[in-house]
Amino acid sequence: MKNQKIKISTKNLNVFYGAKQALFDVNLELEEKKVTALIGPSGCGKSTYIRCLNRMNDVIDICKVEGSIKIDGQEINKKDVDVNLLREKVGMVFQKPNPFPKSIYDNIAYGPRIHGLADNKDDLDRIVESSLKKAALWDEVKDRLNQPGTGLSGGQQQRLCIARTISINPEVILMDEPCSALDPIATAKIEELIDELKKTYTIVIVTHSMSQAARVSQNTGFFHLGKILEFNLTEKIFKNPDNKLTQDYITGRFG
Amino acid sequence: MSEHIVSSYEGQLKTLHSTVLKMGALCESQFSNSIIALVKKDEELIDKIIGKDERIDELEKKVDDQVVNLITLRQPMAIDLRETVSAMRIAAELERIGDLAKNIVKRVKYIKVDLNNEDFSLIKTASELVQNNLKKTLDSYSKKDEQLALSVWNSDKEIDVIINKLLEDFLSNLKKTLDSYSKKDEQLALSVWNSDKEIDVIINKLLEDFLSNMKKEKKNIESLTHLLFVAKNIERIGDHSTNICEYVYFLIKGEEIKGNRPKG
Amino acid sequence: MNNREKEIFLRKRYSAEKRFRFFGISSIIIALSFLCILLINIFTNGLSAFSRTEILLKINFNEKKLGINSSSTDKEIKQANFDEVLQEALLSLAPNAPELKQAELIDLVSIDATIELKKFYLKNKDVLNKTAEVALTLSDDIDQVHKGNFPRDIPEDRRRFSDFQLKIYDEQNSKNKIISEFNWPFIFNADSREPEIAGVGASLMGSFFTLIVCLLLSFPLGILAAIYLEEFAPKNKITEIIEVNVNNLAAVPSIVFGLLGLGVFLNYFYLPRSTPLVGGLVLALMTLPRIIIPCRAALKAVPPSIREGALALGASKVQTVMHNVVPLAMPGTLSGTIIGLSQALGETAPLLLIGMVAFINVVPSTPFDPSSVLPVQVYLWSESAERGFVEKTSATIIILIFFLAFMNSFAIYLRNKFEKKWS
Repeated sequence: MKNQKIKISTKNLNVFYGAKQALFDVNLELEEKKVTALIGPSGCGKSTYIRCLNRMNDVIDICKVEGSIKIDGQEINKKDVDVNLLREKVGMVFQKPNPFPKSIYDNIAYGPRIHGLADNKDDLDRIVESSLKKAALWDEVKDRLNQPGTGLSGGQQQRLCIARTISINPEVILMDEPCSALDPIATAKIEELIDELKKTYTIVIVTHSMSQAARVSQNTGFFHLGKILEFNLTEKIFKNPDNKLTQDYITGRFG
Repeated sequence: MSEHIVSSYEGQLKTLHSTVLKMGALCESQFSNSIIALVKKDEELIDKIIGKDERIDELEKKVDDQVVNLITLRQPMAIDLRETVSAMRIAAELERIGDLAKNIVKRVKYIKVDLNNEDFSLIKTASELVQNNLKKTLDSYSKKDEQLALSVWNSDKEIDVIINKLLEDFLSNLKKTLDSYSKKDEQLALSVWNSDKEIDVIINKLLEDFLSNMKKEKKNIESLTHLLFVAKNIERIGDHSTNICEYVYFLIKGEEIKGNRPKG
Repeated sequence: MNNREKEIFLRKRYSAEKRFRFFGISSIIIALSFLCILLINIFTNGLSAFSRTEILLKINFNEKKLGINSSSTDKEIKQANFDEVLQEALLSLAPNAPELKQAELIDLVSIDATIELKKFYLKNKDVLNKTAEVALTLSDDIDQVHKGNFPRDIPEDRRRFSDFQLKIYDEQNSKNKIISEFNWPFIFNADSREPEIAGVGASLMGSFFTLIVCLLLSFPLGILAAIYLEEFAPKNKITEIIEVNVNNLAAVPSIVFGLLGLGVFLNYFYLPRSTPLVGGLVLALMTLPRIIIPCRAALKAVPPSIREGALALGASKVQTVMHNVVPLAMPGTLSGTIIGLSQALGETAPLLLIGMVAFINVVPSTPFDPSSVLPVQVYLWSESAERGFVEKTSATIIILIFFLAFMNSFAIYLRNKFEKKWS
C-alpha cells in the first residue's frame, strides 16, 4: 500500500455541527484509482467525512470544518478555493437518485454546459453519448434522450446520476450509499460499473452493506463515533481485523 | 466476546462447535479403547470400536452440512468465517484419527505377542503421549486457548522421537530375528557381489529363503510387522492432532503458526 | 376484551366515522347550496341585461328634411338632421295623438336612437329618399316592460311610463314590431346615465389595464423577492423581521393600500388619478405578499436533493436556483399568482380611494386614461334608481365571474403544462 500514489489525504480533520463534534482528528490517505469503502454504524461520521472532500458541508450553515484536506497535494479547506471548480474535479453521487426535472439529454448536458466544456452541439452530443456509455446506460436510453430523466427506473436513475457526474470529467467520484435505494439486480449493475470506473477514477464509497464493501473495495476504513478506528486492505479488515470493535461491527455483534 | 445480535446465528455457531467437540470426544475414546483392546486383545471391544467408527463418519458429514449452511445463509466474516472453515478442517482430521484407531484394532488379531512385556513398553508410552496430546488439542479447541494449541504443536517433536525409537527397536528386533538367517548367506552374498555374478537371482533366492524361514518364525515376525503399522498409526494420530492445533491457532489468531513444524 | 365488548367498541367506531362523513358531506352541500342560490339569483337578475329591446320603425330618409344629398361627405352626414326624420317616424305611430302625448311618443326611443339612425344611414347610403325599416333601441322603461320587470297594474302616477306609451307598445308588439336582440353595446359601450345604452366597456378595459399593470409589477418583483428571501438571504434577525412583515402584509385590509395610493402616488408623485396606472400600482402592492408567500412555500417544497445534485456538479448558487429549483416551484407559484390576481380583480375599496369611482363615459384606450373597474361599476350601478340598472349590475357580476373563470382556467392550463414538463 505504501508504493501507491495518494490522491486524497486528510490530516487532523475535525468537523463540528454547532457545538456538537462529528469528526475527531481523522487522518486518512486515499489511494489513486482505487475504491475505498467507508463503513461504520449510523451517525458515525462517514457521510460527514466524504462531504468534506467536495466541500458540500459548506451548504450547511452551522457546520465548521477544521483541518487539512489535500487533493493531489493541494489544500482545499481554505477560503480562496473556487468551490465550483473543486466540484468539477470531485463529483458526488447521492443515496437517493436525484435526476434533474429535465430530459435525459439535458441532465447529462447540464454539467458540461455550465462549465463550458463543449464548444458546439456536436461536442455536447459526444459528451452525452460517452458519459451514458461509460455508465452502461446508453443502450437503454439512446432512443429516448428527450424524455424526462425522472421517468426511468430507480436503478437507471442512479446510473443516470453517475453518468451526469462523469460528464464533467472528474478525477474523484464520491458515492454516499449509492445502492441503498435499489434492488439487488440494479445494485449488482452499479457494482459492476464501479469495477470498471475505478480504472479511470478514484472512488470513495460510503456503504451500510458490509458485503458490498467487501465486494467492491480494495481499501476499507471503519468509522466509529467520529473517529477512524481502522484503515487497511479490505481483505485484512474482513478476514482478520486488528481492532476488536471493527470485528464486532462486521460480524454483527454490535450495530 | 459479545454475542451476535441475531441469536440464531450465535446458536448455529455454538451448535457447530459442539458437534466438532462431540466428534473429538468420540475419537479420543476410540483411540484410548483401541490401545486397551490392543493390550487386552479384547474381541468384544474390537467389534464395538469398529462399529462406532460409522458414527464418526456420520458426525463428519453433519459438520460439513452445518458449515455449508452457515456459509450460505450467514455469509460469515472475520472470526466467524475462520471458525466455520476451521471446524470443517478439524472434522476432517478427526475422521482420519477415527479411521486410524479402527485400523489399529483391525490388526490386533495378528499381534500374538504379549504387549505387557517390557520389550513393548514404548508402545504404551507412545500411545499415552499421543492420547494426552489429543486430549489437550481438543481442550484447546473447546476453550479457544491458542497457547495450549501452540504447546501441543511444539511437543509433537517428543512423540516423534519416541516413535522413532520404537521403530528402531522393532527394526533391530526384526533384524536380530532375521539376522540368524541372513548371516549364513551373507558371505555368499558378498562373494557373489564381489564376483559380479547376477545379483537378482541371488537376492531373490535370499528372499525366498528369508520368507520360508520367516514362515517358521511366523508368529513373531507377523506380530512385529503389524506392531510396526500400529506404531505408525499412533504416530500419524499424533500428526493429525498437531494439524488440529494449527487450525485452532489460526482460528483464534487469524494467522499461521510461525516457523517450521518441529520434527523429531 | 371479549367478543361482545369488541363488537360494541367496533360499532361505536363505525358510527363515529359515519357521523364524521355525514358532517363533511352536509357542510359541502350547505356551501354548494349557498353558492347555487347566489348564482341563480345573479343569473336570473342579470341575464336579461344581455338582450335589448328594439322597435322596427319605418323611416323615410327624405333628402330635403335631412339636408344632405347623395354626394355628401360623412362629416356632413353626421351633422344632418336625423332628429326630425326620427320624430316624424315616431309620430306616425299615433297620428292623431294630442301634443302632450307626442312628447311621450318621442320618449319611447332611447336618446341614442338618433346616433343609431346615423350609423344605419352611413352603412346604407342607398336608402336616401326611400323608406326603410330600422331597428332602434327603445328607452329603458319600455325595455323593462318588454322584459316583464314592470308590473302593469300599478297606478299611472307611480309608474315611469304612461298608459299611452303602454298602449303604443302593445300595438306595436302585436304587429311584431318589437324585437329583442343580443345586447352587444352592453359589452362595448362606456357608462351612461341612460340604462339602455350603458355598457361595461369602460370598466372592462379598465379592469384589464389595471390587472396588466398589477401583473407586470407584482409578478417579477414577487418572485424575485421570494427567491431571494428563501434561497439567498442569510438567516438573521433582519430577514426574520422581513418575513414577519411580508406575512402580515397579506392580512392588511385593502382599503389601507388605497389610502397609501392616495397619499403617496396621487398627492406626492402627482400621478394621474383614477387611471389604471395608479390602480395597478395600488393593487400590485396588495398582491405582492400574496405572490411572495405561495412562491416561498413552493420553493421550500422543492426537495433539497435537487439543490444538492446541482451544487455537487459545480453549479453556483444562482445557477442551481434559477435552472433547477425555480422551474419546479413554478406550478405552486402560478397558482398563488392567479389567486392573488383574482382577488385583485375583485377589489373595490382601495380603487375607490384613488378615484376610480368617477363616472367614466369614454372607453379608455391606454392605462393612462381615467377609467373604472368592474367591481366599482357594480357598486355605482347598484346605487342608481333606474330599474334598468338592476339587471345591469347583476350582468356585470356575471361578466366578472366569466373573467375570473377564464383566468383560473388559464392558470390551470399553465400549471398542467409546467407539471407535465417536469414530471
